[in-house]
Amino acid sequence: MPVGPFGIDPLIWAPLRLVIAVGLALFLVLNGALLQIYLERKIQAIIQDRLGPYHVGPFGLLQTFADALKLISKEDVRAAATDGWFFVAAPALVFCPMLASWAVLPFAKDIVGTNLNIGLLYLTTLGSMTVLGIVIAGWASNNKYALVGGLRSAGQLISYEIPQILALVSVALVVGSLSMIDITRSQTGPFVNVLILPFSFLIYFIAALAETNRTPFDLPEAESELVAGWLTEYSGMRWGTMLALSEYGNVTVVCAIVTTLWFGGWQGPGVDAIPLLGVLWFTLKVYAFIVVMMWIRATLPRLRIDQLMSFCWKGLIPMALVNIVAVATLALAFPNTLVPIAIANWLLVVVFVAGIPFFQRRRLATLRARARASATPAVRAAS
Amino acid sequence: MTFDFVEPVVFAVLSIGVIAGGVAVVMLNRITAAALLMAFTFLSMAGMFVLLGAETIAAFQVLIYVGAITVLILYGVMFTKFSTSPRALFFQKQTPLAAVFVAAVAVPIVIVATLSFTGAPPRPGGGDLPALATSVFTDFAFPFEIASVLLLAAMVGAIVLTKRDDQEEAAARRRR
Repeated sequence: MPVGPFGIDPLIWAPLRLVIAVGLALFLVLNGALLQIYLERKIQAIIQDRLGPYHVGPFGLLQTFADALKLISKEDVRAAATDGWFFVAAPALVFCPMLASWAVLPFAKDIVGTNLNIGLLYLTTLGSMTVLGIVIAGWASNNKYALVGGLRSAGQLISYEIPQILALVSVALVVGSLSMIDITRSQTGPFVNVLILPFSFLIYFIAALAETNRTPFDLPEAESELVAGWLTEYSGMRWGTMLALSEYGNVTVVCAIVTTLWFGGWQGPGVDAIPLLGVLWFTLKVYAFIVVMMWIRATLPRLRIDQLMSFCWKGLIPMALVNIVAVATLALAFPNTLVPIAIANWLLVVVFVAGIPFFQRRRLATLRARARASATPAVRAAS
Repeated sequence: MTFDFVEPVVFAVLSIGVIAGGVAVVMLNRITAAALLMAFTFLSMAGMFVLLGAETIAAFQVLIYVGAITVLILYGVMFTKFSTSPRALFFQKQTPLAAVFVAAVAVPIVIVATLSFTGAPPRPGGGDLPALATSVFTDFAFPFEIASVLLLAAMVGAIVLTKRDDQEEAAARRRR
């Protein structure tokens, strides 16, 4: 009789492996959401000079557990005019792609669901499927605010997918592979990809904020305009699945992509000696980016919808195209060294950062000129 | 005993998904349900591609058809008027004629498929990405570029068609 890993019959091991993998992913998603909600509240509280949750458990650590229990035990409310099956299906349509994308996240050297040779493409594909669930949720709620939220998210997510994928392509051009494992392996020692491709990292991170509906791009659920956007009619665990689990799960996946592609994934000091240490490095890096996202949420105000779209189409996409042309040309011209690509990319970052105040000043000047032109003669005389 | 039986089962489930989804898209008179079932059909198709070892094509199938085209169709549906009462099917009167046409196309295909494809199915065994990329950028570079130019022309045409000379709107845009 053939013997598989751990001395188990391979016939039993194959299905068992599936069950273990799905169970582990679910466990990580559920607990990650609990931890991230706590972190979100605590970090926002610190930035806004408040205390945040502190009653339940030490430092309020058990607050989100209590909230989760409350959500599970809540009554299953469904408005009479909602669109039956769609209303129930939408949370699953948002949740399932997110859960499936955990299959290719490389936690450590051998701790990965599957080494797919199109791992990066697989992740973008699943990211694009989330939109369908959100649009269906907005439609099925039969509510004006939810519908506007769903429409906004459809426009926003499809637009921001383009710079996101273009930024990923530049990494694939440099590394020469789409497998998450190969991309991690290509970054040896301290020479992680962010030193070579800082500009694509910048583009990806901005687009990823929009793709996961995080502030300043959380227009689909803008509470000051749309009640709760596409989530308006949802409550209880349906709301919990869509917002808490899926949003924080997606944030984790996006931060894992950033970690793997630009920051060396599981690699860190001492990984060669103790491979399990990779899990620690990977988790620490991922959570560093999650904290940065929360920091951004507490710092920046929300954009307006036309600003959001014009920023994507007139700002991010041209920048991503320039980046891709530069990287591809230099990769062809200098096949043996990455130094020219790194220099070009850092120059692009410098141009971008130096260009922001210039554009802001010009925009301010045009706004002032318009205000002056449209003012009444009395106001103009007084000013 | 091995896991050889899994592949035919998966194939059966996927083919039932493709056919049932396609039939339901045509038969249902709720347009949102039809759109969602279309996404389901595309997903089953992607599963077929994975079964054939063409993961890249499967990924693009999901990325473009499920992630973009279905969403845009739903987007269009939401902007158009819809009535709560179900309307009669658009194709109802042509049912006998349609059945004849379907039979005329389907029966020869089934006969040809069962008679001519007797060899073992191709087994790329995963990793179709290099082969796909090489053929797109060498043998099929010209058709590929022609297709991109065609899409660009369609996009420019759509923008020209939807652009309106509305004085009020132009003024509102200038004020912004």
